[in-house]
Formats: sequence, C-alpha cells, structure tokens
Amino acid sequence: MADLDLVTPATSDEAVAALRTLPPEETAILAGGTDLLFDLEEGRLSARHLLSLRRLPWRTLDWNGPTLTIGSTLPLRTLELDPEVRTRLPGLLEGVRAVGSVALRHRATLGGNLGRSAPASDLVPVLLALDAEVELLGPTGTRTLSVDRFVQGSRRTARGPSELIRAVRIPEARPSAYVLQRVRPFHDISHMAIAVSFSPSDRRWRVAVAGFPPRPILLPEAATFLGGEHPDAPAVLRAAQEITERAPIVADRRASEEYRRQLVRPLLERAVRAATGGGG
Amino acid sequence: MSAHPLRLRVNGRPVELADVPVTERLLDTLRGRLDLKGTKEGCRTGGCGACTVLVDGRSTLSCLTLAQEAAEAEITTIEGVGSDAEGHRVQAAFEAVGAVQCGYCTPGFVMALTGLLKERGAAAPFGEFLEELGGNLCRCTGYGAIVRAAAALRAEAASR
Amino acid sequence: MTIRPDLAEKIAGRVRYATDLEVPGMLWGALVPAPVAHGRLRTVDLGPARARPGVVAISATELAALVGGRQGDRDRPAFPRERVEYLHQPVAAVAAPSLAEARAAAKAVRVEVEPLPVVSDVDAVFPDWPGSSAAQHPSVAAHVHARRGDVEEAFRTAETVVRETYRTASVHQVALEPHACLAEVEGERWRVRTSTQSPFGVREDVASILGIPEESIVVEGTWVGGGFGGKGASFVEPWALLLARAAGRPVRLALTYRQEFLLGRTTLPAVVRMETAVSAGAIRARRVRLLLDVGTSLPGRDFATGYSIGFLLGPYRTPTFEVEGYAVRTNKPPFGPHRAPFAPQCAFVVESHLEEVARRVGIEPAAFKAAHLWETGGTTPFGQPITDFGLAAAHAAARELADDWRRAAPPGHGVGLGMGFWSTSTGAGGEARVTVSADGIRILQGEREIGSGSVLVGLAAVAERRTGLSRHRIRVEYGDTASAPYDAGVFGSRTVGALGRAVDDALVQILGTLAQRAGAPTPVRLAEGERGVELEGRGQRWPIADLLTDEERAQGGLTAHGKHYGRGGKIDESLVVDGTFYAYTDFTGAAHVAEVAVDAQTGSVRVVRYAAFQDVGTVVDPPTARAQVEGGIVMGLGTALTEEAIWSAEGRLLNAGLVDYRLPTISEAPPIEVTFVEGHPGAGPFGAKGLGEPPIIPVPAAIASAVRAAVGAHVTELPLNPERIARALKREEP
Repeated sequence: MADLDLVTPATSDEAVAALRTLPPEETAILAGGTDLLFDLEEGRLSARHLLSLRRLPWRTLDWNGPTLTIGSTLPLRTLELDPEVRTRLPGLLEGVRAVGSVALRHRATLGGNLGRSAPASDLVPVLLALDAEVELLGPTGTRTLSVDRFVQGSRRTARGPSELIRAVRIPEARPSAYVLQRVRPFHDISHMAIAVSFSPSDRRWRVAVAGFPPRPILLPEAATFLGGEHPDAPAVLRAAQEITERAPIVADRRASEEYRRQLVRPLLERAVRAATGGGG
Repeated sequence: MSAHPLRLRVNGRPVELADVPVTERLLDTLRGRLDLKGTKEGCRTGGCGACTVLVDGRSTLSCLTLAQEAAEAEITTIEGVGSDAEGHRVQAAFEAVGAVQCGYCTPGFVMALTGLLKERGAAAPFGEFLEELGGNLCRCTGYGAIVRAAAALRAEAASR
Repeated sequence: MTIRPDLAEKIAGRVRYATDLEVPGMLWGALVPAPVAHGRLRTVDLGPARARPGVVAISATELAALVGGRQGDRDRPAFPRERVEYLHQPVAAVAAPSLAEARAAAKAVRVEVEPLPVVSDVDAVFPDWPGSSAAQHPSVAAHVHARRGDVEEAFRTAETVVRETYRTASVHQVALEPHACLAEVEGERWRVRTSTQSPFGVREDVASILGIPEESIVVEGTWVGGGFGGKGASFVEPWALLLARAAGRPVRLALTYRQEFLLGRTTLPAVVRMETAVSAGAIRARRVRLLLDVGTSLPGRDFATGYSIGFLLGPYRTPTFEVEGYAVRTNKPPFGPHRAPFAPQCAFVVESHLEEVARRVGIEPAAFKAAHLWETGGTTPFGQPITDFGLAAAHAAARELADDWRRAAPPGHGVGLGMGFWSTSTGAGGEARVTVSADGIRILQGEREIGSGSVLVGLAAVAERRTGLSRHRIRVEYGDTASAPYDAGVFGSRTVGALGRAVDDALVQILGTLAQRAGAPTPVRLAEGERGVELEGRGQRWPIADLLTDEERAQGGLTAHGKHYGRGGKIDESLVVDGTFYAYTDFTGAAHVAEVAVDAQTGSVRVVRYAAFQDVGTVVDPPTARAQVEGGIVMGLGTALTEEAIWSAEGRLLNAGLVDYRLPTISEAPPIEVTFVEGHPGAGPFGAKGLGEPPIIPVPAAIASAVRAAVGAHVTELPLNPERIARALKREEP
C-alpha cells in the first residue's frame, strides 16, 4: 500500500486552494475518518492524497430562528448532546444516536457521513425527511443543494471535484422521528429504517426509507397519504401500503426484500406516533 | 512515502515524533512508537472498543484515528488514567467488583467509562452508561460484573 | 470479595499478551492467502516478495529443507503442496522488518490456482437426504451409525410420530485477542511463546506438523486474551517457527482480525432431522440424523460427529433409537471447538423438538421432559452408567421459578425453559509440582490463565480448601513445556477437575509427610503462625520451618509431584453399526429459565431476565463460579440470537468482521440469577465439576422456548434473529 500525503488547511480559503491542486480521483477528504479508516484497513482505499478538515473552524452549531446550521466537521456526539437538538429535532437526535458507538461519534462528523454516503447511513434518511440542504464550498464560492440531490447513489454524491461540504442546513425545527430495525439495539447497521417529519410551515409530511442499497429515498407520494398534522390509523396504514407496494426495496445479505417490506408498516406507525408525541 | 513530525501530549507529558506516516493510526503510534502496550489492538475497525483512549478527555477509538489527526491533542491511555480522578475511581470500582477475566478488553472499558464520567458526570442516567459501553465488547464476563462496577460508580457519586 | 491475583495488573493495563511481545531484531510475519476456495495450486512464486529488502518468504517447497529433511504429518502440512481447500488458506508466509513491509511482501507473492468446483455446504453435497451408500461419498469425512431395539416397529405402532428438521449456524469463538506468537529457532531448539489454552498440545501439534521431535520444541504460554476453544490447538505457531528458522531471527506472527474470521476453526453449520414416536405419553423411540459440516477437517479424523450425536438424544431415557451422522467435508476452514463444541446447538434441537412433541400429545413440555429425564443410577441410551447427576434437581427448581415468572409476565413476554447436559474432560491428564514452605504454598504447573480464573483462582482455591491456608499465602506459578509438569490443557472444563486433582494429590502427599514428621494426629491443616506457615493438628502447631530437612530448606520447601490421569467412560459397543462413538465422563447439567419480550411485528427479542440452575458438585470459588455462568450465558445469547457466519456459494465468508458478525453487547445482557445445585459430586477435588462450558449449553434452547411462549413462533433455525422470528410468525398466521 502506497502511503498517503496529507494536507491540513487552517482556513476555508486554504482548503479550497489546496483542493484545486490535488488530482480529484486520487484525493480523499478526511472529516473524522471513522468510515474512511475502515476502508483503509480493509485495503479498499485507493487515494494518494488526504485533505483533512480537522483545523478548519467548521465545528459549529447555529440556531437562527427555526433554522439549524451544522458545520460539517462538528463531531456527531456534540450534536447529540445539544439540548435544543433534543427538543426541536428529535428525529435528528435519533439518527445521530444510531451511528456506531459513543466513542466513534466523538470523531465521526455529519459532513463525513454525508460525504461518504454509505447505503446504510442513518443520517441521510433523517436529513432527507428534514429537507436538509448541503452547503458546498468551491473555488467560485458556495452553492446549496438539497440532500436529495446531493446523495446520488451508493457512495456517490454530487460533490464537485474541488468542492467541500461546508455545512448542512435544516430549514426548520420539526416534529420528527427516526425508527430503525437491526439485529442489535445499539452499535449495529440498520436493516430497515424510516424517517419522518412534519413541516409546520407547509403542513406536510416527509417520509424517507433506508437501510438497503443503493441509497435512502424520499417517498413524497406515500407522505401525502398521511395528510395533516395528526394522521389517523387508516391514513398511516394507507401510506404504509403505498410504501410496501411501490418503494424500490431490495434484498441484500443483511435482510430479504420480503422482511423489509413487512417492516414498513410497524416502522412507519411507530415513526408517526413518535413524531406526533405519542412515544416510540 | 509521506511522513510528518507529530506533537502530542500523552499522559501529561509532551511527545515529539520526527516522522509519523500519514496512514499511521494513533493506536500504532501509542503501541509501536511509545511502547504504551496497555491500549489493546482488537478488530481495528471500530467494532470492539479494545483500543479506546481519551483524546482531550473524550473516549476515542484509536484504531479509527490517524495519529496526525490527534496532533496537539492531550491523549490519556490506560497507563496514565490512574492519575486522573475519574480514571482512578473507575479502576477502583473494577477492582472492587472483580470486573475482569482475560483482561484484554479491560483497558478499553476503563477508558470508555472514564470518558463518560468526564463528559457526563457519574450522575448521568444509567442508560447513558450502557450506551457508552455498548461500543466495547467483552467475551468473558457476560458484562454482569461490568454493569455492577458502573452501578457502583453511580451510587458512589450519589453518596458523595 | 474475590481475590484474583491478576486483577490489579489487568486493570492497570500492565499485562503483556502475545500481541504485545517484541524482541530486538524481530521480524514480523504475514500469511499469503489462497485466492479461491478450491483449486489446484499451479504457482507460488516467492520471487517478487524476496526481491524486497529484508524479506524472507517460504512455501511448501521449502518445508523439507527447513526441518532438516524430516517429514511432517502428510495429512496436515504447514502449507498445501497441490490443492487449496478453502479461501484464504495460507499457501506461503513471509517475514519482514515491519508489519507494513510484511503485508506488502505477502501481497507481492504471485499465487496461481486452477479453480475446481467449490463444495460450499452440506446441501450442495446432499440435496436430498443421504441414501444408503452415502457413507462412501467422497465428501463424507466420517460416518457414525448406532441403533438399539426395533426402531421400525416402534415407529409403525406408535400413537404419535413427530418429524422435524432443524438447522444451526456456524459460530465463532471471537476471543478479543487474536492468535499471536513469537518464535525463535536456534540450531535444533525450536522455541515459541504463544497465546494458547494448551502449551503441551501446541508442542505435540507442532511436532506432528513439522516432523521434528517434541524434545526439541519448547512452548511457553503467554497471558491469554480469551480462548473459548479457539486456542486449544496449534494455529500460527508452525508458520512462525518455520519463518524464524528461515530468517535466523525471531519472528512474530499474529492473525489480523479479518483472518481470525477467515481462517478460524469454528463450529460449522448443521442440519438435523428429529423423529420421535410417542405412545401413552411416553417416548417409545427416536431417530436422529445429523449432517454436520466439518469444513476441511481431515478425512477419518472427525471427532465432532461421534461425540456430538449423543447430545442430540439429550438427557432423556430413550429405550429404542437410531442415530446416524455424517461429517461432510466442504471448502471451509476445519471445524474447531467453540465452548462446549456443538452442544448448545444440540440442546436447542432436542429441547425444541421435545417441546413440540409434548405439545402435540397434549402434555405440558416441562412435565413431559421431567418424566423422561435421566437420573443418577440409570444408564444413558448408549449404556453408560449415570453417576451423580444433578440435572433433575436443577430442572425441578427451574420449573418452579419459571412458573413464578410466567404468572408475573406481561403480554408480549414469554418464559422459557431449556436444559442441557455435558461431559467434562476430566479423563485428560495433568500433573503439578507443589512446594510447601514457611512462606506458603507454591504450585508449579503448565497452564496460563485464560481469563476464567480456573488456573490462578481455581487451583489456589483447591489448595486453600485442602490445607486451610489463606489464599494470599498460595501462589500459582507456571513454566514452559521444558520446566513445568505436563498438563493436557485448559479445555473441556477440566482445569479444576483434573489439574486440580493433581494439585490436591501433591498436597495430600505433603500433608502426610509433614504429619508423620511432626507425629501429628491427622487430619492436619496449614495455618499462619508467628514463624510463618505452621502445621496444625488437633490444636497443636508445628512451624513448617522445623519440619523441613536442610536440603528441603535450601530448595525452598517440601515438594511433591501430584498427578491425575482420569478414566474415560465406556459405551455399549454392541449398539454401534458404523464409525466411532465417544463415551462421556463426569456428567453435569444445567437448567435455564429465560424471560423475553418479543416484538411480534419486527421479530426483535429482548431478554428481560435470566436464571441458571447449575449442577456443579461443589463450588470451589463462588465469585469466579458465578462469573463463569454469567459469561457462558451471554456468549450463549450470541449463539441463540445474533451470531452466524455466512458463506457464499463460492466459499467466501461474507461477514468476516465485527460489523456483521454480531456479539452481544452490554445492552443485551440481561440480569442473571445464578443458583448452584450442589450435592451431586463429580470427579474433581472435593466433588467439584467442570464449569467452563456447561453454562452456555441450555441458552439457545431456553431462548427458543421463551420466544415460542411469548408469540407462538416455533423457530427451527439458529440464530433466532428478528427476520427468522418474523418469518415463523408469518407462517403461523391463521
């Protein structure tokens, strides 16, 4: 294994400048590194250059009215312990807590999770349901993309070769929930998961399903069946049927397609119940 | 081959290393270069917690941390944790309960629990103890004695 | 409070394991894996590796030269010569000045293999159940067959016949510490320091594999970071020794964690068919058929099938039976022992099946089982006398508790009961050299502590009990195979039972000698006095110092050599139709009660609380005894609920790591109540019975029973993961 070269910029400008000089296909971004080092250990990392975001002043968490902006290098554990996140974005809290272990979350970052975009990510579905946006910093300034457009597939994103994830913005605090199914309750990969949120501004639900390849997906049609702020049981059942029958759920070595479809209804019921204050 | 100098503080002492390769993990720096072999190497993929150390007081998997990423940080390992107030308390609780069998996972458990006490305090809900320790595997004890040690730490804090 | 002499050192991280060993001039070893699961080895070109600075590389062609032209066991060479039989099988090994260089050199070795068809599992060998000529099938490593009575007649005339098929998964030991050793070869002195459950076993294995005499091999055990059966035989040692010989320098070789999974000798999957004939509420006859995947275990050397199949009859009176088992070779690593090898799986099958049988004939399962349970004084189906068996007492107590728990259980919860029996390996021999002086007792023996406490605590507790001397005056010491007396190993729950007997034997000799010298009335004990340790008999005391000869004082005390070589059991050989069946020794058993909460929608199981009733003969050290039971139960929860190694049809292990091979974590460990059932003495000192393995055995059975009680899911496959439970529930929907 050829060793890697490391660049550790201290400012955003330095970071962008450094990225322009590095060959994109041979450069990996290090934002915590818990997933990247896993690949390195298994001999699956082909990069020759590492750009570390460690020194950048991006470990931020800013509430601006209803809007939360999370710096991409903020450790997940800091996000999880923020008292406002607990009360105002409970779905995000559950998504964060689903990632690895506490010790892992002391290093792992939101930007890293998004940038690596693993098919079984626990954060992507939550961010999808929360209509989150990704702020990308490039040579010509910043641009903003919805998480839905940013995440393109299994470990594929819309990040340009000379761009960095600067922050993630969640437009509004929302009733939200993330419910997952795995073999172990903690420290495991989710086999099937559902994230929901209800927007107080447009009074609509968002539903995302996850846990299978290639990537977590938003299901706007199914969400419409949920209707208003307090969906009744038949509405949840109709939404669940829509997902069970139409969502592109597939099997992999972790769970069969049949089992995953079977899980849709209980997970959706629980997610909606949790988001509407009925408990998990 | 790319290597860089690296400055750390380890167990309260400054450490300067001349050429640490970019891909070297903190785990290997501690064990290989500094001969701090109390930190155990387990799965190297974040699955077992045997390599847990404190980085700036927070429990961290040294197998999933590049040494260079810990530059300028304060590292505490099992060799130094005894001089830390919380660390000493955790070790005493493990000893009182006998929460050890083969001992290979023990340093990781001690470090994780110390990290939790520092971050959240001994009065944190017991669920937080279990969540922190959920990242550490033990194949020998069935966790019973470790749970008893954690519970004793909480009870002791409550009575203090 | 427990006194573990290793406690403080381990908590401070000061203990050195084999993975921590480094000596000046040492090289680091790495293994070169086979690229396919089955094939003809065409090329192993070490040239590109050797071209790298400081690299030593070896393969099958170097073997003879490295061991001075001698020939090791042809059936298990250190490296394959012609054929690779499982994916990642080491075909060569390298050593280099650093681990990174060694790994790079291993990658540089050019390996060409002409692929052959892969036999991935037993279903690929026998898509239909094996027919009458199946024993001759080239994939069958061993065939066992036994019967008693007119089985056909019993099944033809029975009121009820229940037939079921069960499947069990491959489970891995996953000791946290990987296999590792440090080898040094000087002339004809082959020396290895290694993490092992059996230094003498490693010596014997290395001698056999390399063809060198045992006398020229010295094995020194290091601290062991968990064994669970996985460190019972040699593993990395032959490769490391060969590399050290080739390099002329010390070589350390450790498996990566991935290799632990890829090469590990695990319990492999099995398919079991169970048939039971019942009339008037009593078992008339049973038929048990087993297909056990033994991977690349050697033909004709399978122990697992002939040993395990008896556990499939369970601890139940069975007047008429037929058992037939096939050890099926597949392209997986060899089968290996995993804490009570295959017994938890057998108990799961027997207990679940008999519960099903009882339900079909309308009898409460626990009552049905109790009515058939072995009792002391009876005989096993294979005609072995059952001696001092405490399982009936354990079961009675467990039933009572289960009834209490059932009454208190909320909806969605279920209470289950499971049992299992075990035969501890007290037949395997051991010796110890014990010295008594004014300072105390020193026990020199050949094992290292593997974590259970059986060596450091168990042997000291035996000495304490025999002599009355306080534990802090007793030291357990170890030596390498050249300096320590022989012992078979820390396996088979035998350390206290067999090696403890050797310690006790030595102490009895010493106490006898001292009593005679003092003219003391027996029985005598040892006690602490003003002049150190003293002999005590009927209130009188004699300082040990006064009872020793000058020569003994110079040698550090009065020494005796204790031995214990137990007797094996015997089965009724007239029942055997084909193959080798193994007798059991020193019966023990356990009955467990589990309360679970099952999510009927997702299939998730939470173990709410758990209780164990363990037949133990005599508890030698209560804290370590309890710790063994707790540890065994949680390990068993992994087998029951989450652990499963999964291979593809190409022989590739799909979950070689701790992400997808799931050990129980602290969040899943339930509160456990442990009750020891004493009074049914075993072969160990003071009637002690082995305790390392038995606690894991009933766990999958108890959990399956509880899941069934909670939601009605009758799951016939291990592990009972959420998807399997959900599937079973769907199947049973009206």
